[in-house]
Amino acid sequence: MIRQPISRSWRIGLGIAAILLLMLCYTILSQSRQNTARREQHTVAGKRLTQLAEQQQQLDLQRAKAEAVTAEQPRQRALDRLREQQLKLDKDLLKWRQIEREPNAADRTVPTWGMLIMEGLIRACTPQGDFERKETWILVDFKATAWRLLTGLLLGLAISVFLGILMGCFDPAEAFFLPPFSFFSKVPATAVLPIFFVLVQINFKMYLAIIAFGMLPTLAQSISASVRKDVPEELLFKAYTLGASQFELIWEVIFRQVLPRILDAARLQIGPALVLLVAAEWMVAGEGIGYRLRLFFQRTDMTVVFVYVLLLGLVGLMADYALIWLRRKLCPWFGD
Amino acid sequence: MVASRDDIVLECRDLGHWFGSNKVLNGINLQISRGQIVALVGPSGSGKSTLLRAILGTHPPRTGEVLMDGASYRSPHRDRGIVYQRYSLLPFLTAQQNVAFGLKLDQTSLAFRCFQFWEWAKLKTEHMDQAAELLDRVGLSAAKDQYPSELSGGMRQRVAIAQALIMRPKLLLLDEPFGALDEATREDLQVMLLKLYSENVEARAKGEQPPYTILIVTHELNEALYVSDRVLGLSQYHHGGSEGAAIVYDKAAPVYRPHAPKELSDFVAQKEELLKAVFSDEVIQHHSEYVSFWEDREKLTVDA
Ligand SMILES: Nc1ncnc2c1ncn2[C@@H]1O[C@H](COP(=O)(O)OP(=O)(O)O)[C@@H](O)[C@H]1O
Ligand SMILES: [Mg+2]
Repeated sequence: MIRQPISRSWRIGLGIAAILLLMLCYTILSQSRQNTARREQHTVAGKRLTQLAEQQQQLDLQRAKAEAVTAEQPRQRALDRLREQQLKLDKDLLKWRQIEREPNAADRTVPTWGMLIMEGLIRACTPQGDFERKETWILVDFKATAWRLLTGLLLGLAISVFLGILMGCFDPAEAFFLPPFSFFSKVPATAVLPIFFVLVQINFKMYLAIIAFGMLPTLAQSISASVRKDVPEELLFKAYTLGASQFELIWEVIFRQVLPRILDAARLQIGPALVLLVAAEWMVAGEGIGYRLRLFFQRTDMTVVFVYVLLLGLVGLMADYALIWLRRKLCPWFGD
Repeated sequence: MVASRDDIVLECRDLGHWFGSNKVLNGINLQISRGQIVALVGPSGSGKSTLLRAILGTHPPRTGEVLMDGASYRSPHRDRGIVYQRYSLLPFLTAQQNVAFGLKLDQTSLAFRCFQFWEWAKLKTEHMDQAAELLDRVGLSAAKDQYPSELSGGMRQRVAIAQALIMRPKLLLLDEPFGALDEATREDLQVMLLKLYSENVEARAKGEQPPYTILIVTHELNEALYVSDRVLGLSQYHHGGSEGAAIVYDKAAPVYRPHAPKELSDFVAQKEELLKAVFSDEVIQHHSEYVSFWEDREKLTVDA
């Protein structure tokens, strides 16, 4: 039945089932990629190759002996036989060498749970590196990325709120800002990254600029639309009859009325902001989640990558819940 | 207790308004004296809300002028309160904060609230006390901490009226304030208006200025005749109606004390007259045929 409500325990149960299913799929995937058969073959190949090397020595010895035979006919027969044996041996050698040379004998692209914890989690969470520069990756990277994200989001939000309300309240501001905003909101922000790298020095401020710039066009437009749509004109007239000045009208009525919508719109920008930040870090950073991801990707070592992906998901969720909590705290009237 | 013509609060002089080729109002002349509760009725789309917006000042008329206490104006002001049918409260404030909101905006500035925080905190408690007192008087003290979305329609309109009244406006405008309410709630609120009127009567008896002057738009003729002491009809059904609606009816209405028995039979004759003069597109007359409030008034004073 459409919209039939379900009980709380059902809801929680289904949620847990989804997570378990996800983990099961991963287990199956990592086990199948692990390919134990191939790894066994690899060890077999190693053994066979040593055997073949011994055989080769034997063969060489036999050949030397055969060449020492003086009688023409038996010598020729022995050498022919030996040549045949050599051909067979060469064929075997080629086959096993190929098997041995095959990569991925210890596949790390989809690590097993054990590898994930032993090689990923532990490496990420304990100090690594040489004597002068020993650091705990997860701390360094998380701190760098979270700090960039938080300040970038706040900066972008502040600018967007200011310009969005300005555009929503005053037609000239809208006429001025709307064309560039609608243009830039259609340009994929990741495509603009190279321009940032050349225009702005690569430092902390650059990340802030990238995040703020990525959020601004969409967020300012949605705030402006909300100011126009979600504040009934009756409220404005009413405030005038209660003695509000222009500025009080904006601050005491319009801002407070659209605040919950601003917070909801900001929530939707967390995803794009993270995409931009990780992409920028991937390309140019010396620390941060994006930087570490690139390092391990280049080694096709996914153990740490998966740990970081998990971390990113958690960061996004946390930011989302923080904004929901803030909205409930600041706007209890708005409901859910 | 008869209002004199020289205590005029509001005057409309030859007011006209149109939207493109849609001529809505034409030649509106109107005087309201202090202490009156005036009901404005008219067919839907005749321009009642347009007239109210012109009087409020948010949408000044295209021609003519509106004067309050003799001064012409073209913008909204704290002296003119309004209660709409919908969106009458600020959804992000509780009932009490909504009522106190006007005091805050009227008496303080943003700079004061930021830089003289302690004085503001003290003043704020005063405002909240005043608001609580007023809410108590309209019978809502239990709901003062609730948000508008948690209130019923009738409670919301009560709060909205308290919100406007706390400013002690010279004129309170109500645009179909009870239009969305059920019959019982509607009657409660009508009685509330009658109580305001009886406060006017008491004030006059003591020789003071009556505190409430109200112009209420309604589409309910019974309501109009019950709550008001004067009924106005706005309609395009008169000679020259193609130029816009005019005031085609202006007469005194029976006055009731709160909770006095409401004799619907009193209304019958006047309702018939209103239906004919204001609402019927078959009976077309000169616009001043049923406009006799001030002449009747003068006759009464002369007789007395
Ligand atoms: N903002 C507006 N723009 C154009 N036409 C309007 C506007 N407001 C009202 N009108 C027109 O003016 C006429 C009177 O409207 P209104 O004053 O709302 O009537 P009432 O309140 O008596 O029902 C209607 O024909 C309506 O279509
Ligand atoms: Mg109307």
